[in-house]
Amino acid sequence: MKEVENTVTARRTGSRFPLDGWERSLLALLVVEIAGFCIGIPGFYDGIGSLLGLTQNFLPFGIVALGLSVVILTGGIDLSVGSMAGLGAIVMAEFWQGLHLSIWLSALLGVGTGAVLGWINGMIITRLNTEPLIATLATSFIYGSVGTALAGENPPAGFPDSFNALGQGEVGGLIPYQLILFVVLAIFFSLLMSRSAYGRKVVMIGYNGEAARYSGMRVPRVICSAYVISGTMAALAGIVLASYYSAVRPDMGDILLLTTITMVVLGGVSIFGGEGRIAGVVMAVLLLGVLRQGMLIAGFSDMVTTMVTGAILLTAIAIRNLVSGRGTGFALLFLRLRRLGGGKVPEAAE
Amino acid sequence: MASAALDTARGLDTGVYEARDLTKRYGNVAVLRGVSLTMRPGRVHTIMGENGAGKSTAFKMLSGIVKPTSGSLSLDGHALSLASPAAAHHAGIYLVPQEPALMPELTVTETMFVGQLPTTGMFPRRVDWKAARSRAVQALATLKLDIDPDQLARHLSIAQQQQLECAKALLRGCRVILFDEPTSPLTTHEVERLFTTMRRLRGEGYTLGFISHRMDEVLDISDDISVLRDGALVDSVEREAFDRVRLLSKMVGREMRVVPRRQISHATTTPILRVTGLAHEPRFRDVSFTLHKGEILGFAGLVGAGRTEIAETIFGLRRRDAGTVELAGEDISAASSHDIIRKGLVYAPEDRARHGAVLPMTITENLTSGLLERVKTRMGLLSQSDEDRIGAETVARYRVRCAGTDQKMRQLSGGNQQKVVFGKWMGIGPEVAILDEPTRGVDVGAKDEIYELIDGLAHEGMGIIAISSELEELVRLCDRILSVYEGRIVAELTGDDITPERVSSSYLTSAEVSGR
Amino acid sequence: MKASMTETSGFKTVAPSVKDSRATRRARRETREITLIVAAVVVLLAVGAINHRFVSFENIRFMVLNSVVLSLVALGQTWVIATKGIDLSVAPIMGLTAVVTGLLAQGSGLPLIGAFGIALVIGLVLGTINGLLVARLTIPPIIVTLGTYSIYSGLIFIYSNGTQVDQVPAAYAAFGNGRIAPWLPIPIPVLTLAIVLFLCWFALGYTLFGRAVLAIGNNAVAAYNAGVSVISTQVRVYMISGVLAALAGLVFVCYTGSATVTTGTGDHVELQSIAVALIGGTAIAGGRGNMIGTVLGGLFLSVILTALVFLHVPPIWYSAGEGAMILVTVTLGMRQSRAGKAS
Repeated sequence: MKEVENTVTARRTGSRFPLDGWERSLLALLVVEIAGFCIGIPGFYDGIGSLLGLTQNFLPFGIVALGLSVVILTGGIDLSVGSMAGLGAIVMAEFWQGLHLSIWLSALLGVGTGAVLGWINGMIITRLNTEPLIATLATSFIYGSVGTALAGENPPAGFPDSFNALGQGEVGGLIPYQLILFVVLAIFFSLLMSRSAYGRKVVMIGYNGEAARYSGMRVPRVICSAYVISGTMAALAGIVLASYYSAVRPDMGDILLLTTITMVVLGGVSIFGGEGRIAGVVMAVLLLGVLRQGMLIAGFSDMVTTMVTGAILLTAIAIRNLVSGRGTGFALLFLRLRRLGGGKVPEAAE
Repeated sequence: MASAALDTARGLDTGVYEARDLTKRYGNVAVLRGVSLTMRPGRVHTIMGENGAGKSTAFKMLSGIVKPTSGSLSLDGHALSLASPAAAHHAGIYLVPQEPALMPELTVTETMFVGQLPTTGMFPRRVDWKAARSRAVQALATLKLDIDPDQLARHLSIAQQQQLECAKALLRGCRVILFDEPTSPLTTHEVERLFTTMRRLRGEGYTLGFISHRMDEVLDISDDISVLRDGALVDSVEREAFDRVRLLSKMVGREMRVVPRRQISHATTTPILRVTGLAHEPRFRDVSFTLHKGEILGFAGLVGAGRTEIAETIFGLRRRDAGTVELAGEDISAASSHDIIRKGLVYAPEDRARHGAVLPMTITENLTSGLLERVKTRMGLLSQSDEDRIGAETVARYRVRCAGTDQKMRQLSGGNQQKVVFGKWMGIGPEVAILDEPTRGVDVGAKDEIYELIDGLAHEGMGIIAISSELEELVRLCDRILSVYEGRIVAELTGDDITPERVSSSYLTSAEVSGR
Repeated sequence: MKASMTETSGFKTVAPSVKDSRATRRARRETREITLIVAAVVVLLAVGAINHRFVSFENIRFMVLNSVVLSLVALGQTWVIATKGIDLSVAPIMGLTAVVTGLLAQGSGLPLIGAFGIALVIGLVLGTINGLLVARLTIPPIIVTLGTYSIYSGLIFIYSNGTQVDQVPAAYAAFGNGRIAPWLPIPIPVLTLAIVLFLCWFALGYTLFGRAVLAIGNNAVAAYNAGVSVISTQVRVYMISGVLAALAGLVFVCYTGSATVTTGTGDHVELQSIAVALIGGTAIAGGRGNMIGTVLGGLFLSVILTALVFLHVPPIWYSAGEGAMILVTVTLGMRQSRAGKAS
């Protein structure tokens, strides 16, 4: 009808700056944190090499978090990352020690194992229509058992130095191999999720799985692949850990789960799926990792840093929900409800 | 057989529910402007109006779900201020929503009493299940509902849920019961049953409110009719003064014109889609038809007749019990929707928010989601410039009014969202498009634009199936119309036979024939 | 109450028979319990046939006693899951209570009644924090309890400061292992569990609070619209979960006579309690809670794990057995409910 006002504005409205408000806040916090630690904690800054070297202590968490992000973006969850990390590393160690394969080939097989384990998760979830939480809770128990059984009484240890360099070494004595690996993976995942057709499908399924199905997307296939990615990354992280310790233990992945979920959520990924980006997760990994290292150097115990991590998570999400009103699902629903009724039900007035 | 449940509610001559100057604004937008209504006991007061006229908002304010910006409510002369639905129930006002909120894991008895369970004993004060059940049984019997009070609520159909809501209103002693467009998801039989219940309640002196835009139903059940247009009350009549044409013209806001038929048909004789003996029990069976290039084929029928299910089965979203689907001579009966899209058949679903669009994503992302291969890739990455180009072109071509192609879908109006959904599917250049309720939730003005779009597509040679519950729309758009009644094609109309009356009687007559 | 058939609309008019409501309700609700009992009996008989000691009184007593701690936590978890929530922080709440009461008993001879008081306070305070964060600040439960998991674990560490409990006073040991009366060989923890189970079962089935919990789990908006007070119910549910986890911690320290920094968290009690609740027939999607099922689930788990010991299965496979059980019971449960839907 009103043809005149139809001046089509086909431009993009937002800026192309790759970080949104949340990620910018995380970045600012990270800068403040590193600067604060360098100034405030004696011994934290001991040359750029040592600063970069600190990352070796937490980057396996980051690797797991990248894979887990994909799963959480589909609206699912993977509780089995810890046991997949352990099992992947043990499979590698057993191939190396038991079958005398080359350590790198073994490592490849270990990562492949992670992919298979993730695929099993994905099949249980999509074929049996099981809630991801339940399915991966169950498989985490099972994978844990298998790992322990494979490892036996004396798990293999003492890997070749060339392999140990992956977890412990640096390029030119400055940049840790782990950091290089993480940066490469982070860039890959960031592009995968924000720029590839696959990432687009994952996000769409996370926001609205039904609409994705009506758009002709093969939803089960995409969901299944997300778990394969998560399993692969978990196993890779397990192998990096094995190299870092030059040993494997079946329970070495146990510490990964809760911390990585924290990283993903703090990074701005909605637990309900769809919303969130890899850049934020990377920020959160660095933020929490550096925090832990800084506090350890400052003499706080591991547990105190864990507490602080938990407090940061809750504060951050609470602020995000309340201030920006970006809460999703139930959160938003209840917000609306409360505004409506003040939490209780008043009587009808005369 | 007067029962206690009815007795408590019947206090004679009570239940005069009045609204004065109800106004609701969201920001600067007035959804309802100074509407005054009077609902009287023993009468069904119907509110009519087009989509977006403010009918539902009015009922939401009358039942405490939405607070009016200004205006007053009074029941039997006493002023009311309803802070919540629970407060409204307390005051005696109950809203039956179109799709009642289900408590799937609870029994029917318990869903009837949520928030109101009877208790017994002092310490411990406990739920009196016996009393609850006998009262539930009684309320169900009063309304003559055949619902097992012990079954789980998830097993109830929508019709049963609505009926159950009536029983809940009785249990809460409510005298005013409002029905928010209850009939649109129901089959003819179910509508009839609902009306039986409503008449029974009316006979017992309840005050009933009703929303519908189906003229036949409205004329059938109403005692008073108020017409809303653009949030304002434009007409209010009593039963004696009912006049179909007048009501329609008040609703639409212009004189009813003779529905214009399409001027030129683009239909050819080249078949493009052939469906033979398609069945998906129990929703539909024995569906056979042929669609030609450039033809616009309408699917008429009541909601729930199985039209959407037929479309979804053709599109590969539902299991098929029997039959074949051929697209341009190729059998696609067993293909998945992923493959069917790539073979050139697309489906724009009726429920945009749930199936048609991803509201938190951008216009461009929605546009390309039907076939991401459309976007050029470099080393596996979607080319942003190519995607922007597609976005800009589609937005321009389909005249989507937006701030930019990276605006989120949820910020667009219904009509513009629908144009994006069209753009998404037409951009792939399909041979056949199935459009399910193409103008649902679209403003009157934008409808014309969408009709032009559809006509243009047919002109380009696309075969189009339009499923619609609006007769005017079918009459205006279609070259040929198939009437669907309870899962079967019962009539085919062509040429001059396509008038609103003939179309509606084609499935309503069948309803009478097979309904008895 | 005979209904008339005078209406014309083809409307079947039948007054539902006024048979006892509970009979139908039971038939529908108790299939999971029967399944679990039958399965447990089958395992008992099968393994008992191989090794008679498996069905000895001593062993049965052990299996029951062994399930108490986890069942207590799982009962609390059942409340939370019934509202569509989840509580991961039960593990550190349990651990913290065990360490605090144990250390106080060991160091300064805290009387048992005082330990109960401390457990109650710990559970209430920590549970309330969870509940307020979930209901008031509208943070998803999984994130809230993930965060408080870290915080509460830290509290254990700070409080214990590296020390651990390795023995408890006689009164504690008697509470953890003793029988009710010399002539009645029922362990006191089992009695405790029975009392808690009865209270939970009653509260869920017969109080307005319990029904509000289920209504919220089914459909929070509809529950609110019907006048259910959503926020206070949610907070109370996390309080119950906290208190039961704390009680479990106290029973644990009394039963085993030891507690360390990793008590609760080390065994992943949070995941195990979810597993037990699911095995017991509680739906992860909320709206359905089965207290008796939860305790039977804990018992069944204990029977299975003990059976594995008797069958000389290496202990490393126990958790695999647990995982398989979750998958089997949950997928079976879904089959059942889907079949119900179809009918």
